[in-house]
Amino acid sequence: MTYDHLRQLLVLSLLFCIQTASIVQGAQDLERKASMLLREEPENPKCFAEGRKDFTCFWEEDEETTGSVDQYSFTYTYQNENSSKCPLRALHTADGKRLYVCHLNRTQMFVQMDIQVHRQGLLIHNRSLLIELVFLLNPPANVTVSNNGEQGQLRVSWVPPPLKYMDDSMMYEVSYAPADSQTEQVEVVRASSELILRGLQPGTQYSVRVRVKLDGISYNGYWSAWSDPVLTNTLPADLDPLIVSLSLIISLILIVLSLTVLLSHRSFLIKKIWPAIPNPESKFQGLFTVYGGDFQEWLGQTNGGLWLTPVFFYPEESPSPLEVLSELSLSPSLPSPQEEEGGLDEEKRLGQVDSALMGQWRGMPHDQWLMDQLQTLHRQPAPCSQSSLLESQDAYVTLNANNHSGDEHLDDILEETAPLEVLFASMRNVSSESHSDMGSLQQSSGSGRLSSESSFEYPNHTWPPKGHGYTYMVVADSGVSMDYSPMSSSRVDDIGKVVIYANEYKNEIPAHRRPLLTSIKAMFKSGDFGCSSFLSCLIQMNPEY
Amino acid sequence: MNTVHQEPMLDGGLFALLLIVLEWTRPGLPSPLRPICDLRVLNHFIKEARDAESAMRSCREGCSLSESVTVPQTRVDFDIWEKKNALDQAQEVQSGLWLLHQALSSLRASVTNTALHSHLDNSIRNLLSINAVLRSLNIQEYTPPASVVAGDETWQVSSATDLLQVYVNFLRGKVRLLLLDAQACHQDVS
Repeated sequence: MTYDHLRQLLVLSLLFCIQTASIVQGAQDLERKASMLLREEPENPKCFAEGRKDFTCFWEEDEETTGSVDQYSFTYTYQNENSSKCPLRALHTADGKRLYVCHLNRTQMFVQMDIQVHRQGLLIHNRSLLIELVFLLNPPANVTVSNNGEQGQLRVSWVPPPLKYMDDSMMYEVSYAPADSQTEQVEVVRASSELILRGLQPGTQYSVRVRVKLDGISYNGYWSAWSDPVLTNTLPADLDPLIVSLSLIISLILIVLSLTVLLSHRSFLIKKIWPAIPNPESKFQGLFTVYGGDFQEWLGQTNGGLWLTPVFFYPEESPSPLEVLSELSLSPSLPSPQEEEGGLDEEKRLGQVDSALMGQWRGMPHDQWLMDQLQTLHRQPAPCSQSSLLESQDAYVTLNANNHSGDEHLDDILEETAPLEVLFASMRNVSSESHSDMGSLQQSSGSGRLSSESSFEYPNHTWPPKGHGYTYMVVADSGVSMDYSPMSSSRVDDIGKVVIYANEYKNEIPAHRRPLLTSIKAMFKSGDFGCSSFLSCLIQMNPEY
Repeated sequence: MNTVHQEPMLDGGLFALLLIVLEWTRPGLPSPLRPICDLRVLNHFIKEARDAESAMRSCREGCSLSESVTVPQTRVDFDIWEKKNALDQAQEVQSGLWLLHQALSSLRASVTNTALHSHLDNSIRNLLSINAVLRSLNIQEYTPPASVVAGDETWQVSSATDLLQVYVNFLRGKVRLLLLDAQACHQDVS
């Protein structure tokens, strides 16, 4: 028995607790609504309906001036009906005021209601209203805000107040704002319980709340309180696919264009960036591949044959080194530097020079031909010299490459001890004295390309004699190029008087037989002279002889 | 042989023609969002009735009823209303509409203010439209009794403003509830 009693007590207490809680909650709601109505509704008493059947009216009185609740009477009258009274109860609010509340559980809508409040028989409040026009609902419940997968959008949904017949008469206001911002936007929704917010900032937290009101056509009322705010984040900013795709397409187009331009100007660019280094490989056969660039070795291997190969250097003409080797016989008439014999001597010397200068190629029998040429050219009765010349078997010219610039006395030259590099065209039986007595011709070449030392030697080292000026030209042959010094006079006084011509080497005769003469001819070729031969040129150049 | 082949064609053609004709002769209703049950039409009528009522309130002269008219009761007690069956509800609404029609016509005749004439004409037109809506919802039409009986659901008004107020309240209340509850567009309400 006691157990049952206890159980009943427990149940009762639970029920009591629940009711108290609901009453407390209801009281809290009432207080909240009352405070709101007190702000918004000017008329007294302030009345509102919460549902299809609930109806609440109240008015406020100060604690000091109020009486007891019994002093007041609340009378309401529907149109065409008898009046009724409503029991009042008093509520104490926080700010020292008293509320007198009338609550009805059954109401008639769509009909006018007249309310009168009397205090001790005196009418203090009077009001006529229609109940369906004074709705004050609870805020919407279960407000949910979610992402609907789109950028800058949020989907808000809620549960409308549970009022039958009034679902389609409800109007909602959705207020949303970034969580840290004060400016809020409001969207109005009619007869729907969800809304999609657009145009939101991506990646931001938004605070959303909803309130409800009846739309005012069939029913009307006051705006409900705001629902509790719901915080939700919008989707983070995403790359606009259109922009991404457009930028990709544009970059692709640019790449294709640049590649096309590069390929079309490929050769030009390669030349600019990677210029072609000239390679003399073709001219030096085997130099790089076989001898690894060792020029001396390559020279040795080839025996300098390439030097003499006419086609190698100057295809049109025969190789250049003037290796005129002629053994000048020790003819007494030759070295006498006398005036009257000057001409003859000169001729002889010239002839010597001529013969000397005429290079004889090694191993090539040019002597006879040379002599013939000399004979025809000279036509000088100088049998001795001629014979001597003819007898000479070797005509050689050694070109002195000691860089004597300026006019040096020839006797110095004669006694010179400069190293000589003698290029022999052919070795003949010539007394060494005559060889050694060869004077050397001053070389006044300004060329620096002379690689071989050579000297021009005259027999008996007395020629050219002093006091005689001879125009001479030094041919310097380096093996690669021939350098012809400007013709200069051996006589000091003649310098400046004698017109010296420096002739550029020209060779236009590719004939094998004529290289010697051709080279010399070309050497002394001068149109102004009008000379047709070497000797004649020489003679002309030295008019005093 | 030719006729055998052509008969199905003819039948099909006739059927199509019949459909077209039926579609034409269907009672003209504004296309609602929800089939037939869109209450925006009624809302429009209610707004216009409210405009007429406010116009009547501001009228000073030439806007009075010559005689008292019978108007339906507009009060709605939801407990009572829900206990009524659909037929009774329909009957109540249809009779009320009929009464209002009579009253508005009488008012229209007695009002001399030209500004109110348009309002009243509009209201009468709207009443007829509501009848059409109810007809579309398969709500039976009201056949007026031979003699007007003052029942619980009627009362007498002698003021034009009261009449129009009744008219507005009736539309907002009972008519709307009936349309909402119509079985043709029955909705699962809580």
